[in-house]
Amino acid sequence: MSGLGPLTVRELKKWVRNPIFFVTNLIQPIFWIALFGSAFDITRFFPGASTSVLGGAPNYITYIVGGVLTTMGLFTAMFAGTQIIFDRRLGPMGRFLSSPIRRSSIVFSKIISSVVRIMPQVVILIVAAYLIPNGLKFVHGFTIIDVLVLATAIVLVAFIFSSIFSVIATRMTNMNSIFGIVNLVNLPLMFVSYAMFSPSMMAPWLANVAKYNPVSWSAEAIRMVIINGSLTASQWTQVGQWLGGLAILAGVLMLLTAILVEKEIRD
Amino acid sequence: MNGTIIETKNLTKVYNGKIKAVSDLNLEIKEGEIYGLAGPNGAGKTTTINMLITRIAPTGGTATVGGFDIAKNSLAVRKLIGVVPQDFTADEDLTGRENLMMVSQFYDVPRAKAQENIRTLLKLVDLEEAADRYVRTYSGGMRKRLELIIGLVHEPRILFLDEPTLGLDVQTRMQMWNYVKEIQKRLNVTIILTSHYLEEIDELAARVSIIDHGKVLITGSPAELKTSLKGDIITITLSDQQSAELIKTIPDAVEVTDAGQNTVKIKVVNADDSLPAIINFISQHKLSTIKLTVVKPTLDEVFLEYTGRSIREEEGGMDRMKVAMNMRRARR
Repeated sequence: MSGLGPLTVRELKKWVRNPIFFVTNLIQPIFWIALFGSAFDITRFFPGASTSVLGGAPNYITYIVGGVLTTMGLFTAMFAGTQIIFDRRLGPMGRFLSSPIRRSSIVFSKIISSVVRIMPQVVILIVAAYLIPNGLKFVHGFTIIDVLVLATAIVLVAFIFSSIFSVIATRMTNMNSIFGIVNLVNLPLMFVSYAMFSPSMMAPWLANVAKYNPVSWSAEAIRMVIINGSLTASQWTQVGQWLGGLAILAGVLMLLTAILVEKEIRD
Repeated sequence: MNGTIIETKNLTKVYNGKIKAVSDLNLEIKEGEIYGLAGPNGAGKTTTINMLITRIAPTGGTATVGGFDIAKNSLAVRKLIGVVPQDFTADEDLTGRENLMMVSQFYDVPRAKAQENIRTLLKLVDLEEAADRYVRTYSGGMRKRLELIIGLVHEPRILFLDEPTLGLDVQTRMQMWNYVKEIQKRLNVTIILTSHYLEEIDELAARVSIIDHGKVLITGSPAELKTSLKGDIITITLSDQQSAELIKTIPDAVEVTDAGQNTVKIKVVNADDSLPAIINFISQHKLSTIKLTVVKPTLDEVFLEYTGRSIREEEGGMDRMKVAMNMRRARR
């Protein structure tokens, strides 16, 4: 009687049935990788120094794929909360609250469905990055382990940010407030991280702050496996730390979401 | 079969420590009846319902629904009841049937059973043909009907109907009344109905409580309440003041009052019996009447008597806006 299943199915139906929402979601990764890959290409600013700033990546696209994947997960996840406000405004929330379902299911259905929505975006982005000229190159191969690291990192990022923004949304009645907050933090979260640039290229204070940004952890973990293929023991420790950090943060936030929502969600 | 299914004892809800929405409310609702809650906006009807359906917690008193305490055992209460709130709750981007199925799943109704219930209910409110259309294509009346059966998919023992016909046109309202009667007869649920439309409560409810300022003013069957007013009202306008004075001396009037120029209001026990006597009196004294009206009390008069104001004065404002919004949403 948790209600999580039917509510998640509802979210996904709404996504698949809305052609504009569905198609833009799927085209977005192609745009991002093509545009970001060109716009921020740091090797153009420092000709000759390319391999050192790219941490061993053969080109910039290969370097930023992890960053773009993470940012895309971040952006999609941040909007998970908006549906909660729509449900409150348009009526379905009243039905959910008078049903014997767990109240946290209302929020978790948004979180899970946004994670599901991100998955095809990940696949499309990787394929697009691979196909564009001077695109993604797997110098040291691409194994199932790389796929697992990549998927774990993105899923955890999506869980982290969708739960933060869902909890915020449960306390809001106005759509503009949540859009305001999303716009306030989306670009800072992206640029104050190692998603697009390496720490050596950033102002020292910025690089220091970026160290604590989960977007950096995910971007670096994905980058590590994509650039190096099979990792050394010390590289594995590093990836383990990043993913571990993401997992702990996601776990704590999910728990917090469950507790807060069970008490706080209302009309 | 005629046990008490809902009982409130001094049920109270105070908002922000000062606004008393419901104050020491006592109700006793019997299994299987349609029970009306009438009262102006802000009287505490919706707050009372919201407490009984465990959407909000009371700040004082107790209540049991189907034997379960609303504060201590809210989950058990929620499983037992069906709710049709004032606002539309169906998801516009799903079909009618999908909405019904989703809510069935909230109550863990087995799939085959749910499909069967849904078919029966769709048929009951004539929505079979529209069942697989998106709800956003429904008219206002269709949406109300859908809401009605969404509240019934899990075969609740008690159904809360909050303003089921708010914003509907007269024909659609009468149609809704038939559906409600049919549901009560066929499914044998207890129905708690709130409405501004007193004729609606008169038509549907076996018993009614008039609520104002969060308190029950009077409870009884609509017929009892009307009888409690002791009489029908005959209003006569005559050609001159002298005639008007003369008619005041009429025998067997319960109460006679002036009601404007040359106009007299006569309260009698039963207009059907008294009218011939009045007509005889008029012809005996060769009075010339300009206008004569007979009003049998409706619940509106009862309401006026007990709350000191007409329920119609209470409509408008926010409420009308809400209706307009809902209707727009329904049409879009």
